Amino acid sequence: MTVPPLTHDRTSDFLEGGRHERRQIMTPEGVPLSVELADYGERMIAFVIDLVIWFLLMLAILIPLVSAIGVGGGSLIAISIALFIAFLIRNLYFVAFELAWRGATPGKRLTGLRVIDRAGGPLVPSAIVARNLTREIETFIPLGVLMTMQKGAGGTLDLANLGIAVWMLFFAALPFINRDRMRGGDLLAGTLVISLPKRVLLDDLVERKAKFTFTEQQLQAYGAFELQVLEELLRRPVTVDSLRLLKEVCDKICNKIGWPTPVEPAEMMPFLREFYTAERAFLEREQLFGKARADKYAGKGA
Amino acid sequence: MKMPAVPLAPDMTMPAVAPAPDLMPPAGPATAKPELVLKSSEFRKGRAEGWRELEGLIDRVERRGVRALSLDELQRLPILYRAALSSLSVARTIALDRNLLLYLEGLSVRAFLAVYGPRANPFEGLRSFFGHDLPAAVRSARWHILIAALAMLVGTAAGFMLTVQDEAWFTSLVPSGLSGGRGPSATHAELYNHEIFAPWPGAVESFGVFAAVLFNHNTLVGILTFGLGMGAGIPTIMLTVYQGLPLGAFLALHYNRDLTVDFLGWVSIHGTTELGALILFAAGGLVIAEKMLFPGRYSRLENLAIHGRLAAQMAVGAVVMLFAAAILEGGLRQLVQSTPLRFTIGFGVGALWLAYFCLAGREARR
Repeated sequence: MTVPPLTHDRTSDFLEGGRHERRQIMTPEGVPLSVELADYGERMIAFVIDLVIWFLLMLAILIPLVSAIGVGGGSLIAISIALFIAFLIRNLYFVAFELAWRGATPGKRLTGLRVIDRAGGPLVPSAIVARNLTREIETFIPLGVLMTMQKGAGGTLDLANLGIAVWMLFFAALPFINRDRMRGGDLLAGTLVISLPKRVLLDDLVERKAKFTFTEQQLQAYGAFELQVLEELLRRPVTVDSLRLLKEVCDKICNKIGWPTPVEPAEMMPFLREFYTAERAFLEREQLFGKARADKYAGKGA
Repeated sequence: MKMPAVPLAPDMTMPAVAPAPDLMPPAGPATAKPELVLKSSEFRKGRAEGWRELEGLIDRVERRGVRALSLDELQRLPILYRAALSSLSVARTIALDRNLLLYLEGLSVRAFLAVYGPRANPFEGLRSFFGHDLPAAVRSARWHILIAALAMLVGTAAGFMLTVQDEAWFTSLVPSGLSGGRGPSATHAELYNHEIFAPWPGAVESFGVFAAVLFNHNTLVGILTFGLGMGAGIPTIMLTVYQGLPLGAFLALHYNRDLTVDFLGWVSIHGTTELGALILFAAGGLVIAEKMLFPGRYSRLENLAIHGRLAAQMAVGAVVMLFAAAILEGGLRQLVQSTPLRFTIGFGVGALWLAYFCLAGREARR
């Protein structure tokens, strides 16, 4: 069950260049929530961070262990114990952190990513286990085999190496060939990796003291999309560049709504903020009456 | 509702102090007007405090877990979460403030994850996993287990038939890493003294090297069998048959030297657990394959998501079994130097696994 895409998502796509794909999950309370899918880059970085932490953890455990055993016994024992511990930590690391930190490993936390249930239900332990167990087949085993395998004699193409390369390529390509950017483990566990940026609630832009008056006809020139782009521009920190942009926007608005007198440079910010307020009041009221205007083209063609 | 006349006053929503209709200010620039009040701004004023409180709680949950909250705060969390959700629903219909909407979206998702996060208590999770989830998952896959067991049996039979008539097959069926110097040239006495009844090499050697290497190797093979289920199950079956081949070859080698019973005892002490685990891995792979090939009422992806977890539970159970097998094989096998006792332990442990998977957790949940 989905609701149509929201206007503010469309505005975000416009302002951020469509960087994030969005999906909707349904909460048990029946409210659809819009979540941003994680970027490939973000996920890669998170994974690399986790690998580095895993490696350091391994070293911290193994160096004392190997030195303790290496004095008295053969290196074979040390190697086999090392392999065993590496295997355990590798598999427990992801599962333990995703369980304890609600779907985030240290790498994911640093990059602002979370694992969620695709259907919007609770993220159950078996799903976490399922998505991390396959990591072993997707990356670690083929990597290990590739590393321990000897090069084919005289640079000839080795069939087994080729097979493993194809295998790895397939799993590496999997997130790129499905809509929800799921890797094999996500497919199996029914999970999704989302990006969860922290947002701050800023002050309302509404201007209370009205100096300028706009007619309904003037306000009909725009829709919610343009309103939210204007909001974003007004919220940007004041710089020379942003002032020039605002000047441009102000001229365009005056032109479009047929504002009779030119706006003084000193008056520009109050004018834009008041226009924003009036436009928002108008559009919000229209929306309450069931006449939502998505953008400036709304209600013209049809 | 009465529509205001054109030209509109900028206070298109309700004024804070509602003026009498005849007192409505005339249109025109630069006249003094009552304060503007937007429904969406008023809406936000009364609720922002609750949102901020929720945000503070979630921040702490995300950083230090649910335990960071006091009992009172713990009770507030779901209430604030539902309030935020309802705020979001209202804001979507009445507000066009993008910052507000994005903030509420993000806050609701974070609160949702904090409220419906994975169960944090590892002990309760472990108990429910071993007490109910795992045996239930295994029971639900009994046909897959049967197929996997048959595949392994076919492999073993084939390995046996080939090797029993021509022992040259042994070297090609058993990987050199697995044969450990045993081969067609081995004599009855060699196998008897250096393999089946070889002395126990000591704790460090048998647990440190042997058990660890065995566990690593078997788990890798098992997970591979499991994961290859995504390839429609054919690689899983092939790999399972392939795992049976060396077993059959070994059996034939000992059969030809009149050591069948001793060999079976030697293998069974850990074999019941180890083969059970490998069959469980293969069955998990077959579950994945079946759910992908025959999705039934769901889409393939949904079906995979539902049953992939069952399969993963089986795989985890299999890893635990392999761990037990490695301990049995590395330690107990050479410590117990009697064939009847080995049979007793091997089949006793096997019966325990069987009873556990068949009986555990049946009445726990209706």
